[in-house]
Amino acid sequence: MSSCIVVTGLGVVSSLGSDVEQLWSSLLEGRSGISEVESFDTSAYRVHRGGEVRDFQPERYLRHLDPGSMGRASQMAVAAALSAVADAGLRSGGPHDPDPERVGVVMGTTSGEPREVERFNDLLVAEELDRLGPELATRYPNHVIAGQVAAELDLCGPNAMIPTACAAGNYALAYALDTLRCGRADVMLAGGADAFSRITYTGFARLGAIAPERCQPFDRNRQGMIPGEGAAVLVLETEEQARRRGARIYAEVAGYGLSCDAHHMTAAHPEGAGAARALEGALASSGVAAEQIDYVSAHGTGTPTNDKLETMALKRVFGDHATRVPVSSVKSMLGHTMGAASAIEALVCCLAIRDGAVPPTANFEEPDPECDLDIVPNEAREVPVSVAMSNAYAFGGNNASVLFRECVS
Amino acid sequence: MSARRDQVVVTGAGVLSPLGYARAPLFEGLLEGRSGLRPVEGFDTRGLALPRVGELNGDGPEQFLEGRSLRPLDRTGRLAAAAAELVLADSGFRAYYGSDEAESLPAGLVLGTMYGSVRTISEFDRRALTAGPQYTKPFDFANSVINAAAGQAAIWHGLAEINATVAGGTTAGLAALAHAADLLRIGRASALVAGGAEELCFESCWSFSRAGLLAREPEGPGAGTPFHAHRNGFLPGEGAALLMLETVTAARSRGAEILGHLTGSGSSFDPSRGQDGERSATAVRRAILAALKDAGREPADVDGLSTSASGSVAVDRAEALGIAAALGRHAAELPVTAVKGSLGEGLGASGAFQTLALLEAMSAGVLPGIRGLDEPEPELPFRLAGSSAHEGRFRCGLVTSLSWDGHACALVVEGPGEEARS
Repeated sequence: MSSCIVVTGLGVVSSLGSDVEQLWSSLLEGRSGISEVESFDTSAYRVHRGGEVRDFQPERYLRHLDPGSMGRASQMAVAAALSAVADAGLRSGGPHDPDPERVGVVMGTTSGEPREVERFNDLLVAEELDRLGPELATRYPNHVIAGQVAAELDLCGPNAMIPTACAAGNYALAYALDTLRCGRADVMLAGGADAFSRITYTGFARLGAIAPERCQPFDRNRQGMIPGEGAAVLVLETEEQARRRGARIYAEVAGYGLSCDAHHMTAAHPEGAGAARALEGALASSGVAAEQIDYVSAHGTGTPTNDKLETMALKRVFGDHATRVPVSSVKSMLGHTMGAASAIEALVCCLAIRDGAVPPTANFEEPDPECDLDIVPNEAREVPVSVAMSNAYAFGGNNASVLFRECVS
Repeated sequence: MSARRDQVVVTGAGVLSPLGYARAPLFEGLLEGRSGLRPVEGFDTRGLALPRVGELNGDGPEQFLEGRSLRPLDRTGRLAAAAAELVLADSGFRAYYGSDEAESLPAGLVLGTMYGSVRTISEFDRRALTAGPQYTKPFDFANSVINAAAGQAAIWHGLAEINATVAGGTTAGLAALAHAADLLRIGRASALVAGGAEELCFESCWSFSRAGLLAREPEGPGAGTPFHAHRNGFLPGEGAALLMLETVTAARSRGAEILGHLTGSGSSFDPSRGQDGERSATAVRRAILAALKDAGREPADVDGLSTSASGSVAVDRAEALGIAAALGRHAAELPVTAVKGSLGEGLGASGAFQTLALLEAMSAGVLPGIRGLDEPEPELPFRLAGSSAHEGRFRCGLVTSLSWDGHACALVVEGPGEEARS
């Protein structure tokens, strides 16, 4: 059988900091990255809060590309990738640096660079389209984010975007795992990115899915999700290579399960059947029993439907273990960062394994009998984590669960 | 490939192309050198001067989607769902696994795209801008995500397994086939519908025009003609092409007709993103060599080429030079086709059209020529490039694709009678 695939580097841009340790300590402290929306005027909406990234300065990261040549999601993705590569010690100039021809990039996203469409429309509606340059061709197409990452880092390996909406980060991790196992690359940078956008906010507002103040996953009185933004990138490589170059190993990516509800574009299957199949696939492909799972990073958006159906799916697959295992949602603090969400949550799983601590589900007040899980209310918990499951569900009925396991030499 | 377990076969195709709505009319059109390109009709160009485009004819995808409301599906979603309808019929997959009323089919979907939902996301946003956010349409928002077409096709047909959307510039369709083949080989699926779908729309065509990618207007000789000495840009196209990919075990167990094998794939990236033609050519060379190695083949085994050349000056040249660098002198003696001369630049759909052309050539014993190629660029390494078709026995074909901003992908396709080597 092929070698284990391990995570050796993490990088992030988030509303709770663009440094992995800063984000992690903020999550463990239960802090919120939600604030009043500033990037566009929300006066025509009934909701006004979002998880915008405030302190991000792409020029502090990028060394080769001009930040002005790319959209915001690309800027965040490139910054997260540079941080992850540095964290993995990949550009040390040492003899074990991988060949750039064998380093690939795969990124997930929901909307790519929607702000490019917004600018196009602003000018089109104002009948000033002739003021716009070629950006819709150079900065918008669905593949550009992964291309920007590879261009900044001069990487020639397999390069792809897997734009499977809010499950895209996990889909990208699955793609990276297969690419490495098939021997198509030695290192894969995998993650997700999405920029806060008027379009996304409008859509979720129109669906009545946005909570007015706080995101309260699994709470009886939860009122919805809160859109956010960010990027996260993980460095994946074979355990053999990681050990050879003396890299620190966060965790093994042990397996994944993917499925499609084939039911409805925006509503999940009423019994969580697709989500359950993704969980089963992740367990089976990892050779792990449900009872071995120590932590579940929930999709946990805070919408009435998602949290109820995710609970049903966990119970269906985990049985009694579903109510014993700690399950938390960092979306309670970051909001829903769309295609970046499961990449950020993958990072959470890696750090939970490293530190033996799991972040809380913040803003919890009243238990919901339909979500009777141990959701780690409001306070982080110290608990040994050897095996962690990360769930992500998306428009289009996409379900993706990825399993992370402690890597002991 | 360390993780290889099973061979991957093609058991059917679903096609919506500017040359027709099945693999037979598409291939006959290509063989006869017909053009699917004409003045745009399907959308308001708002005064944008466009050259001819490869637009589907008036009876669009809707004719294949009966019995349910089409309202939730945008045009790309309809293209994908209609192509899936055709491939599930052509492969006999639906007939074998279930009736039209079946809840779900044991297959997944891997769909390539380049501009995806750009028309819908733009219209959604414009409505919010002009009428107010409360007047936007929830259906439009559902289709604003890039994977909407894959989701809609899965819902329409009950494709409940893996549902992936793959973006890689104009290589996306080929990248989707390659990804699907990997998933089948390593046992993640036994049947996947894979290929690409792309619609023509104002937003993408405006962006091509603004970026100087289109053939100049008015068109001169060689406009939109792959490898032509006087080419100066591409002509945009649209359509959908999906192949039914199955493990050979699954295909044989249901007695499916096998159209061919996908025996290897490779991809690479040019970090200059097309600014440095040599680096683009190198990416093509690496993708081809990886694909041949994956298939257990040598350059000398290749007997036919299906390229992505579109009439773009630098991209066509880099692809040709990359092919020559990978195959050596053998490249000059190979019959070569380039379907975009007849279909236009179909973006995410193109790779599946290219692959299908080669599979049909294997079955028919003749490879289409390149429409309109009366004067090839003299420096290019293809002695046999021209407008006439090539008769011969094609057993091991190479499909190549290079995107103008850096993605390169290659696929090795072998005939139904060929046993994969490794």
